[in-house]
Amino acid sequence: MTRQAMFFRIVVNSLIRRRSRMLVALLAVIIGATVFLGMGALYYDIPRQMGQEFRAYGANLILVSSGNDSTLRLEDAKRALALLPPDKLVGASPFRYGTMYHNRQGLTVAGADFAAVRKTSPYWQIQGEWPQKDDEVLIGTDIAEHARLHAGSFITLQIAPPGRRRITKELKISGIVRTGGAEDAFVLMPLSGMESLMGAPGTANVVEISLAATGEDIARFIETIRAEAPGVTPRLVKRIADSETTVLSRLQALVYLVTGIVLFLTMICVGTTMMTVVMERRGEIGLKKAIGAENRAIIAEFMGEGIILALGGWLLGIGTGYFFAQLISMSVFSREVTLPFFLVLLTLGASLAVTILASFIPVAMAADVEPALVLRGE
Amino acid sequence: MFLRMILGAVTRQKRKLLMMACAMALGISLATAMLNVMLDVGDKINQTLKTYGANILVTPRGAAFLNDLYGVEEGAGVSDKYLLESELPRIKTVFWAFNIVDFTPYLDAVARVNGADVPLLGVWFKKRLDIPTGESVDVGIINLRSWWDVRGGWLKDDDTDGVMAGSAFAARHGVKIGDSLAISLKDAAGSEKFTTVVVRSIFHSGDKEDDGLLAPLAAVQRLTGLEGKVRRVEVSALTTPENDLARRASRNPHSLSRQEWEVWYCTAYVSAIAFQIEEVLTDARAKPVLQVAESESAILQKTQLLMLLLTLLSLACAALAISNLVTANVMERSTEIGLLKALGATDGQISLVLLVEMLIATFIGGALGYVAGLGLASVIGHSVFGSAVAIKGLVIPIVALLVFLVTIGGSIPAIRMLLRLRPTDVLHGR
Amino acid sequence: MNILELNDVSMIYGPVKALQNISFIVQPGEWVAIMGASGSGKTTMMNIVGCMNKATHGSVILDGENISRLNARDLTVLRRDKIGLIFQQFHLISYLTAVENVMIAQYYHSMVDEKEAMQALERVGLAHRARHLPRQLSGGEQQRLCIARALINYPRLILADEPTGNLDETNQNTVLDIFHQLHNEGSTIIVVTHSPEVAAHAQRVISLEFGRLVSDMPTSLCA
Repeated sequence: MTRQAMFFRIVVNSLIRRRSRMLVALLAVIIGATVFLGMGALYYDIPRQMGQEFRAYGANLILVSSGNDSTLRLEDAKRALALLPPDKLVGASPFRYGTMYHNRQGLTVAGADFAAVRKTSPYWQIQGEWPQKDDEVLIGTDIAEHARLHAGSFITLQIAPPGRRRITKELKISGIVRTGGAEDAFVLMPLSGMESLMGAPGTANVVEISLAATGEDIARFIETIRAEAPGVTPRLVKRIADSETTVLSRLQALVYLVTGIVLFLTMICVGTTMMTVVMERRGEIGLKKAIGAENRAIIAEFMGEGIILALGGWLLGIGTGYFFAQLISMSVFSREVTLPFFLVLLTLGASLAVTILASFIPVAMAADVEPALVLRGE
Repeated sequence: MFLRMILGAVTRQKRKLLMMACAMALGISLATAMLNVMLDVGDKINQTLKTYGANILVTPRGAAFLNDLYGVEEGAGVSDKYLLESELPRIKTVFWAFNIVDFTPYLDAVARVNGADVPLLGVWFKKRLDIPTGESVDVGIINLRSWWDVRGGWLKDDDTDGVMAGSAFAARHGVKIGDSLAISLKDAAGSEKFTTVVVRSIFHSGDKEDDGLLAPLAAVQRLTGLEGKVRRVEVSALTTPENDLARRASRNPHSLSRQEWEVWYCTAYVSAIAFQIEEVLTDARAKPVLQVAESESAILQKTQLLMLLLTLLSLACAALAISNLVTANVMERSTEIGLLKALGATDGQISLVLLVEMLIATFIGGALGYVAGLGLASVIGHSVFGSAVAIKGLVIPIVALLVFLVTIGGSIPAIRMLLRLRPTDVLHGR
Repeated sequence: MNILELNDVSMIYGPVKALQNISFIVQPGEWVAIMGASGSGKTTMMNIVGCMNKATHGSVILDGENISRLNARDLTVLRRDKIGLIFQQFHLISYLTAVENVMIAQYYHSMVDEKEAMQALERVGLAHRARHLPRQLSGGEQQRLCIARALINYPRLILADEPTGNLDETNQNTVLDIFHQLHNEGSTIIVVTHSPEVAAHAQRVISLEFGRLVSDMPTSLCA
C-alpha cells in the first residue's frame, strides 16, 4: 500500500468513524456555506431588485422635442430608446396633449399608450377598466366628481383640430383615474384615438421613460441620447432621479452593512466550532507525535479532513443557500434571484479558508505541545 | 458541593468556556443589532423617503381644473377660489399632527418681465409658525425640494424684494445673481403694479418651475392683492403603508362601518391624514399624491419584509451555529463525564452541572453580546441613516430567550449522547 | 556498543528536582526494569529515555546519538527510528482498526505494508481481531496491539511504561510472555514499573527513590 493510500485511509476513517463529531463540524461548514452563498446572492442581487422597486415612482427621464416645436416624432423617440439597454428599460410611454371642450369648459386631453403607462406609472388607480378601444377614455377623478360622471357613462367632447372643422364626439368612459396629481383633471384616451380625432399621427409631446438606473448611469444615458438621437432632447426628472439616488444608496448601504455583518459573524462562529472539534483531539496529536509522526504529517492529516469537510459542506451549503436566497427574493420581490457563478466558487474558497484556518490554528498549537505532557497530562 | 463543582468547572475550563461565551457574544450582538435595526427600519426608511417631497396636496374645494401643463393658459377655467393662510397652522393640530413633517403654501401669479409672461410662485421658505397648541415649528419649501440645485442659497421669508430665478428663465433672459428685474403684475382688480426685485439665487429643479420666479408668499400676495390667500398647500407626512381598508376609505370614507372608521382614522394612512386636514381647513380638499404615497408604501413594505426575513434567517443561522458549537463543546468533555459517571454521579446530576455551566457561560456572553449589538446597531444607524437606531426594550426578552433556547437546544443532544457511553469506554480511550 | 547511556542526568522543574545525577548504561539485548514508587521520577525517566523530553543537565546517548543536542524535530525522527513505545493506557487511535493502528506507525516511519502489519498482529496473537476497532478489543488485546505497533519498525529499544498497569493477571502474563519471547530474540527492553512482580521478570533492576538512583543490580541478586 502506498503512503498516499494510507493517508486517505486515515483521513476517511477519522471522518466516518467519528460520526457525531464530524456531523457537528460538517453542519458548521454547511451553515457557513449557506449563509455565505445566500447572503452573497442577496448582497449582489438586492440592490438591483430595489432599483426595480423604485420604478414604482414613475418616470425618471423624459424625452421632449429638440426643436422649437413642442411636438416630437415617435420615430425619433424610438431611435433614442434603442440606445438604452433593454434590461434597464422598465417602460416608455408617449403622451400627447390637446385641449377639448366639455360644456364650454376647456379640458386637457392626453393621448397615451396605456400598456406602457401601466409600466411607467404603476401608481395610477383605476376605477373601472383601462380603455380597450379608440373611442373609450379614462377621466380624472376631479372631472368625474365635478361633472358627476362615472365609469360606463358617456362624455361629449367638442374638438377643434388645427386646420379642420369643429367636431363633436361622444366617448365611452371606461374608467376613472386617480393619481392625486395633474392626471386627476385630465381626459385620457388611447394615442390612436387621439390621432384619429386630432390628426398629425406619429407625434407626441413627451415620452416618459422609466429606467432602472441612478446617478451617473442615467447621466451617461442622457449624454448618449443627446449625442446620437436627433430630434429629441432627454431631460432628467430630477425629483425622481435625485431622490432615488439618495434613498436607494441608503437602502443599499443598509443591505451591504447587514449582510456584511451577518457574514462576518457567522464565519467566526463556524471557525470557533471547527476549532472546538479539533481541540478535542490534543491527546490524539500527542500520541501520533509519540509514535513518530512529524508535525508536517499531522497537519497534513487535519488539513485533509478539513478539505473533505469543506467540500462536503460547500456542496450541501450552496443548495440550501440558493434556496434561502430564492425564498427571500421571491417573497419580497416576487422575482427570481440571480446567482452569479463566481459566487459559488467564492463560497468554496471561503469554506476552505475557514475550515483550514480553523483546524490549522489548534493543530499548530497542539503540535508544539510535548507529546509526553499530552500522553500523561489528562 | 454542586456549587463547588460548577465553580471548579468554570474556573478550570476557563479557556473553553471563554470561547463559548465569545461565540455567544458574537451571535447575540448580531441578533441584537439585527432586531433593533429591523424594528426601527420602518421609521428610518419613512424619514428617508421624505426626500421625494410632499405626499398630500391641499386645494380649495371646487377649484377648477388648472390647465398648467405648459406654463400658463389664462382664463381657461382658472377659478378664484383660495385657501386662507391664517388657517394653515391648524394643519399641525390634527390627530396625526406629529407625523406631519413639513408643508408649504403656494400662490401663483403671472408677472411680465422684459415683455414676456413669466410664472411667479409665492411660497414659504422657512417660516416659524406658532401653532395653537403653543409650540412653534419651522415649515417651508426647503425640505420639500431636496432635489433642487440652488446657487446662492434659499431666500428668507422676510426678504420681500428678493426672488429666486429658475435656471431656464435665467438662461433665456441672461439673468445673473444680484441682477435687478423690473416686473409688472395685474392684480385681482385688473390694475397693473410695477416693482423691482433682486435675483438672490438661481435654482435648477428639472421641472417646470425652472421657467419662472420664486418669491416669498407675502410678496406675491401683496403684488397680486390677494393678502392672506393661498392657492394650494403641499404637505409631507410620515405614513403607514396603505392596505385595502385605506384604499376603500380614500375613495369614500363614509362607506366604512363605525369600527372600520375608527381603525382607519387612528392609523397614519395617508388617506386618513388627508381627511383630517380637510376637517381643519375651510372648504379644502386634501388628496394623497399617489405617485409618492403609493410608491412609499410599496418600498416601505418591501424593505420591512426584507429586513424581517434577513433577521429571521440570520437569527436561525446564528442559533444553529451556536447550538452546534455548544454541542461540540459538550462532546469535548466526554472524559470528564466518564469520570463523573465512574465516581457514581447520576445522569441527572451530570446533565445539571453541564447545563448550568453552559448557561452561565452563554448568559455572560449574551449580556456582552447585547451591549456590543447596541453598538453595532448604532453604527448601522449612523452610517446608513445618519441617526441612531432607537433601542427597543422588546429586544431584551427575545435575546434572553434565544440564549436560553440555543444553549439548552445545543447541550441536550450532546449530553444525551455522552450519557449513553459506558464510563470505561470513555476513560480507556474508547 | 551501548544502546543507552545516561551520564549524570538531572531534571529540574523550577524548585522541583525530579531526577538527580542519574547515570547508567544499557547493553544491547538487555532487559532492564526501572522501578520505583509514585513520585520517584519513573515517568520523568521514561520521558527522557523515550526522547519525549530533554534533561536539564547531563547527557543521554541513544544508540550513539547524544539527544541533548537535538531539536524537537530530530527528536521525533530519532524516536520514530529507534524506539518502540508501549503505554499503560494503550493510547490507540479510536477511529482506526487494529491493523490500521499498526500501519499508522509504518506510515509515519516510512512505507506502509499491510502484510507486515498482519504478521506483527499474528505475532501477538491478534490476527483474528485485525479488523476490529480499539473499543471492541479487551484491555489485554489493546495492550498486545500496542506492542505490535511498537515492534513494527524494528526498534533498537522497546520502552514500556507500566505495560501491565491496567491488566488483570492473565493478560499480564500474556504480555510478559511476549516480552520474554522478544528478549530471547535479542531485543533490548526497558520496562518502567512500580510492581516488583513485573520487575522480577527482567535481568536487571534499577530502583529510583525521590529522583535518585538507589540501586542497580541483576534480578538474581534481588531477594
